[in-house]
Amino acid sequence: MKKIAAIPLLFALAAGTVFAGGDLEAAAEGSVELELWIDSNNGDASLARWQSMVLEPFTEANPNVSFETALIANNYDATRTALASGAGPDIVMTYGPFALELGRNKLLQPLDEFAAQYGWDQHFAPWSLDLFEVDGAPVALPDEIETLVLYYNKTLFEEHGWPVPDTMDELFAVAAQIEQAGIIPFGHANECWRGTNEWFIGEFLNGWAGPATVYQGIIGNERWDAPVFVEAMRLLADMQQNGWFMGGLDRYYTVPCATAGAMFGSGEAAMRISGTWSIGGFGGEFGEAAGNANDWAWTPTPTRTGVDIFNVGIGNAFAISAHSDNPEAVAKLLDFYYSSEVQGALFVEHGKAPAPVAVDERHLQGADPRYVDLLGAMNEAFAADNYGYTTWVFWGPKTNSYMIEDVERLWAGTITAQQYMEGWHELHQEEMAEGTVPPAPAR
Amino acid sequence: MSRTRLVAWAFIVPILLLHFIVKISPSVSAVYYSMTEWSGIGPAEFIGLENFRHLLFEDRYFWQAFFHNWLWLAFTTFTFALALLGATLMAFISKASLTFRTLLFLPYILPSVVVAGIWRNLLNPDLGIGAQLASVGIPGLDVAFLGIPETSLAAVFFIDNWRWWVFIMLLLLAALQNISVELYESARVDGASAWQEFWHISLPGIRPTLMFLILMTSIWTFMVFDYVWLLTRGGPAGSSEVLNTLVMKHAFIRFDAGYATSIGLVLSLISSVFIVVFVVLRRRGWEI
Repeated sequence: MKKIAAIPLLFALAAGTVFAGGDLEAAAEGSVELELWIDSNNGDASLARWQSMVLEPFTEANPNVSFETALIANNYDATRTALASGAGPDIVMTYGPFALELGRNKLLQPLDEFAAQYGWDQHFAPWSLDLFEVDGAPVALPDEIETLVLYYNKTLFEEHGWPVPDTMDELFAVAAQIEQAGIIPFGHANECWRGTNEWFIGEFLNGWAGPATVYQGIIGNERWDAPVFVEAMRLLADMQQNGWFMGGLDRYYTVPCATAGAMFGSGEAAMRISGTWSIGGFGGEFGEAAGNANDWAWTPTPTRTGVDIFNVGIGNAFAISAHSDNPEAVAKLLDFYYSSEVQGALFVEHGKAPAPVAVDERHLQGADPRYVDLLGAMNEAFAADNYGYTTWVFWGPKTNSYMIEDVERLWAGTITAQQYMEGWHELHQEEMAEGTVPPAPAR
Repeated sequence: MSRTRLVAWAFIVPILLLHFIVKISPSVSAVYYSMTEWSGIGPAEFIGLENFRHLLFEDRYFWQAFFHNWLWLAFTTFTFALALLGATLMAFISKASLTFRTLLFLPYILPSVVVAGIWRNLLNPDLGIGAQLASVGIPGLDVAFLGIPETSLAAVFFIDNWRWWVFIMLLLLAALQNISVELYESARVDGASAWQEFWHISLPGIRPTLMFLILMTSIWTFMVFDYVWLLTRGGPAGSSEVLNTLVMKHAFIRFDAGYATSIGLVLSLISSVFIVVFVVLRRRGWEI
């Protein structure tokens, strides 16, 4: 695979991003306090990262701005409720495309003027801003560009001489070989996150049917119960029913995710289809820290044709509350947060996936070269229109919930792949009529 | 109005107001929202009884969850049998009974998150109790009970029941200890067996408490949520879905709060039916 070193190449943006320092205009009028809520799901780590990498440096340059931060359980639900009642934080953090819902209900400030002022329309990949457009203006800025790939235990593969698969047929063949060797083919478990189910759904849908066909489905030109989609889900069900994920469905549902990760690192499991977010955890699963001599590598998730496809996703987004008294200060903070320097530092030091913005190559120095390679390959695929769609970004909430929940019925054999996709189609049609399907960039 | 009454009202009114704001007002508005299409924020579109029509005639997930709640209620027979047995045995213990009660009550005071975490580990098919027993030659329990559709609901119930039965047992024990000892002494003089003592003295003696607990358990059965959510989220494959997890999913995952409210309203109606039955039986002279 050809390595593309510079992320800016993807976004065809000028290298280097300068963020303006200096005082806020509001400084003349006195101090400003901004409220930020962070989800407590990841413990204190996210807040500490925000404090040290974003808030403190920002406050140094803008001493009149202070922050009131809080770790909130189920942050999105809390934020949504608070905003609806006229309260909530100034800086709004949401998951995936959820900001759209808030924007449609006028709970977020339109960002078009700030986008022009700070040049965000040049700094961000255009498709990523389009994702959050309401009435012609973006209402949120996307963060954490994500994709999924096939990670494999490189040491184990080399020891056994297993070929790294490019096509789905090759994937099935190597999984069978691995199973015969008494090793679990895929170290997957959904005990800690039920949404894990959808990672495989998205990969199989795009990988088997092809992103162009999936796009036709998303915009309503193709039925979801078309044979090509049904077949993709049948293949996934076959893999689950073969016991290839964690050794059986019962174990896939109950083995702790940390155990599954440790088994992948130790070589008890050989592969994992997962997202870029997993890379940060490999340090604790492979090598000396984990008590093994293994190493990992990645390859694009195999597809039917063997063409490399990267499904694009957005982890979360930031926006400005409609109730904020200091939108200018929030905009300035966001401009700082999305700067090449901060995004690069968060990527290198914490493994946080960068936002879909121009990140200067020099800010990526010191990052895991495999991750940098992955971002480069992803960019290359985007440029060649070989990008697919993650399920949590491009489908409405009802269909998304359905695909996660009801796929277990398919795996359990209580419904067929045809019935599963019929239900999917029905809900997608309903959400298209309601206008809750997020916009997919035209291809 | 007398001064005494005024003072009384002065104490009651703030509570009534608070009750109206946080209980009555949302309850009444829930009736309206159950007849709307509403995401949970923004304007709600009035759609009449459409949510209820869909719920009752088309939603197989609702009926599956509804059935699981009834199944859960059936499982509580086991809870009551265990609690009755425990209370009867505990009634014979005089020494260190407080220590026993305290020890037995410990699980009840643990937060559900902690209990769920403990049991998730205990039922781990690789490291839990079953796996340890299998390693010493006792197989059969090294099964992922929470991960198998046929056993998941029963497994969650077992964990919930692990703490709940003690609460029932202690209340029944208190009721048993209120029965006059002379009744038992008279029965023994007349040659009654232990079973006859239980059937003819203990059981009638604790009937009001027992019936009240059955009523409350029936209502709470339809409120069950935390352990299901913490342990299985209604899965796998919907096998442990109950009405409250369905409400949660509709309201906060699918952003279909109007529909979630209609399920909530059905839950309230079910609870009301239990209460009405209880009140009617009391009025007919049942000692409950």
